[in-house]
Amino acid sequence: MSGRTVAMMCLFLAAWSGAARAAEPGYSAAALYNLGNAYARAGKPGLAVLNYERAALLAPEDPDIAANLHYVQRSAHVAADLRAASNAWTRAMTRASPVAMSWLGLAGILLLGAAVATTRYPWTSRGAAAAGIALLGLMAGQCAVLWPALHSAVVVTAGAPVRVSPVPMGDPVFTLPEAEVVALAAEHDEFVLVRTAAGRTGWVSRSNVAPVIPRW
Amino acid sequence: MTPCFTRGCGLLALAAWMSAAAAAPLVNATLEPARITMGQSAELTITSSGSSNAPLALPEVNGLDFRVVGQSHRVEIVGGATLVSTAIMVRVTPRAAGIYTIPGITPQSQPLVLRVDAEDAPDKPPGPGNVNSAATRAEGIRMTPDGSAYVRLVLPKREVFVGESIPVEIEVGMRNGFVSSLNGLPTLSGADFTLNNLSRQPERTPKLVDGREFTLLTWHSVLAPIKPGKFSLSVESPLTVRVQTRPARESRLEDALGDPFFQNYFGVTVSKEITVTSPATELTVLPLPAAGRPADFSGAVGSFQIADDLSSSTAAVGDPLTLRLHVTGTGNFDRVDSAMLDHLDAWKTYPPKSSFKASDPVGFRGEKIFEQPLIAAQSGPQTLPGLSFSYFDPATRRYEVARSAPLAVAITPSAADPSAGPPAAAGKTAGTAAAADGLRPDHALSGAAHRSLVPPYLQARYIAAPALFSLLIAGGWLGRRRSLMPRAPSRRTAKAAGRVLQRLEAAAQAANAAEFFSIARAAVLEVEGTEGASEDTREIFALADEAHYSGHPPTTTDYARWTEVVRRRILPEKGA
Repeated sequence: MSGRTVAMMCLFLAAWSGAARAAEPGYSAAALYNLGNAYARAGKPGLAVLNYERAALLAPEDPDIAANLHYVQRSAHVAADLRAASNAWTRAMTRASPVAMSWLGLAGILLLGAAVATTRYPWTSRGAAAAGIALLGLMAGQCAVLWPALHSAVVVTAGAPVRVSPVPMGDPVFTLPEAEVVALAAEHDEFVLVRTAAGRTGWVSRSNVAPVIPRW
Repeated sequence: MTPCFTRGCGLLALAAWMSAAAAAPLVNATLEPARITMGQSAELTITSSGSSNAPLALPEVNGLDFRVVGQSHRVEIVGGATLVSTAIMVRVTPRAAGIYTIPGITPQSQPLVLRVDAEDAPDKPPGPGNVNSAATRAEGIRMTPDGSAYVRLVLPKREVFVGESIPVEIEVGMRNGFVSSLNGLPTLSGADFTLNNLSRQPERTPKLVDGREFTLLTWHSVLAPIKPGKFSLSVESPLTVRVQTRPARESRLEDALGDPFFQNYFGVTVSKEITVTSPATELTVLPLPAAGRPADFSGAVGSFQIADDLSSSTAAVGDPLTLRLHVTGTGNFDRVDSAMLDHLDAWKTYPPKSSFKASDPVGFRGEKIFEQPLIAAQSGPQTLPGLSFSYFDPATRRYEVARSAPLAVAITPSAADPSAGPPAAAGKTAGTAAAADGLRPDHALSGAAHRSLVPPYLQARYIAAPALFSLLIAGGWLGRRRSLMPRAPSRRTAKAAGRVLQRLEAAAQAANAAEFFSIARAAVLEVEGTEGASEDTREIFALADEAHYSGHPPTTTDYARWTEVVRRRILPEKGA
């Protein structure tokens, strides 16, 4: 690896790190977790689950968040989270936080770059390329695990009617219990198409659900 | 004189009297009503029974005009006898107020008494025939000279304040058959007042004025004085009326024909556009007092009440609430204004919007609603202060300040705002209390905060730099790989090589070894001139020498192999 390549990588790391530090502080996993606890104690399981889900996005490895999330959902008699939190693959992919996984993915990219840039030591290059691909695979795996949560919402009102069409006059087909996590499939005006963990779909008013990633 | 002679004379006298009585008609006269007001007329009905055709002489009374307006005949058969009666209707019009005695029509008739009061007689007893006319006279009707129309302005009071809204009525009375059209809306004379919200479609009601049928059109409006002072108000309305074209002495035709339709039919009237003006009404406009005027007085004059409400008694931080102020009552709602809550700690306030809902056609009475969006910036129980509204009440002649009650609202932390504190635990229910017991404890607030909940590797800003770096690496790798690969010949080189190969194949087919190797040597030397000699080149030169000096001509296989060697040399990509 030439000195010029190393210098370029250092410059890139410095720029990327600076961009990361430039992010304005806003969400904190601990604050969201505490907020979920407060809502749970205040008798608002929907908002509690919403904040737990948001906290889990920032710190999926935190066992307290998962425990309280499941506890509130069980107490509210709603279906468990859309994510299969109990299998080994999910646990493996959520060992690191998304921020740490981003750094690992970046390191994978740098390793791949180094492997491509140098041909003097073939075995070292091949090892670096393999390590880089593995790190990128880890990042992609965590992305796949967290992807459903990024496109989900939590029912924040009790007995939210689910309609067959996105109009207020649409016939309600069933109701959603508060604190249930649903997947967002489509949006239309003031309604969103949701899919429950049981596979039922229908349109529900935006005011009855809150997306895990704030959109409205 | 004998008794017999006396009895005979008596019989003759009776017979003569009976004959005279049978020949003289029976005349009866009635006057209705017996008491009228100046400007009105009474009707004298003279009924005579019998077959006498003697002309009837109208009575003559100083101060009274008599005019025959109609005549009717009636034939009755009673017990086989035919009785004919004739009734003559005479209009009696006084020229001055007073008590008149109309002598009997016949010497045997009783005189009739007609009492004529002045127009403003206060002790005039109401009667069935003059109630309406008396009322209309008292209301300030000024009829047109021909009695076909009038305009009246009805004001509820004569003393008002600047800016005060006064509901008024404008009446236009049109005598049926005499007014053909209304040519425009009534207008107010004078520029010191504004006539607002004049209804486009007036109310239409029939009315009897002086015993004549009128159609009354009534407009409702609101009068607003602009400046103080004493003013004289009147309204006018353009009309088209039918006027008589014949001299006054022939106006008996009106009475004779009895109906305007016949008058129009016989062509005695023509249409004429006129403007009817109401009698002037004096109005005093007082200025608003300067003493005691509140600082927030916006010019509202009237009688108002206020109330306030909030769209919800609970909300989260960041959720919008709507504070409403309801101002109801009567007055100039166009000047009713409120700044609502201009500034409030821990709240974000927005400019209010207002809407007015009138409960009458002219907007004098109704409800004005001010709506102000508010957003709480801090959680916890909060109280919105009461609102106030200042106005001038003409009834009390002083400024009033109406106040509303403070409003309590509970603000919970925002679900989307992690910086907000947790909600109060006071609102927990029994069902969640059990759930709260099983929760794991809170965490200490430490560690970095994130701007977004989306993982960094899915955010554009984080993806952009690695993607750019990957592109740079891929570009460098491709460039290096390209530099290691032989360049593809240009089209021109390929064409030249094709021509050389064709000449080689032709020489091989002709088994002309000298020609073949001459062409091959020239082509290879041309390539070598730029890139240097190679193994293939040396082989070709050796083969050429061998074929030249050995005397053994090359075989077809040799030509094909040597052609391939030359092809590989002059077209290197083909052999790569």
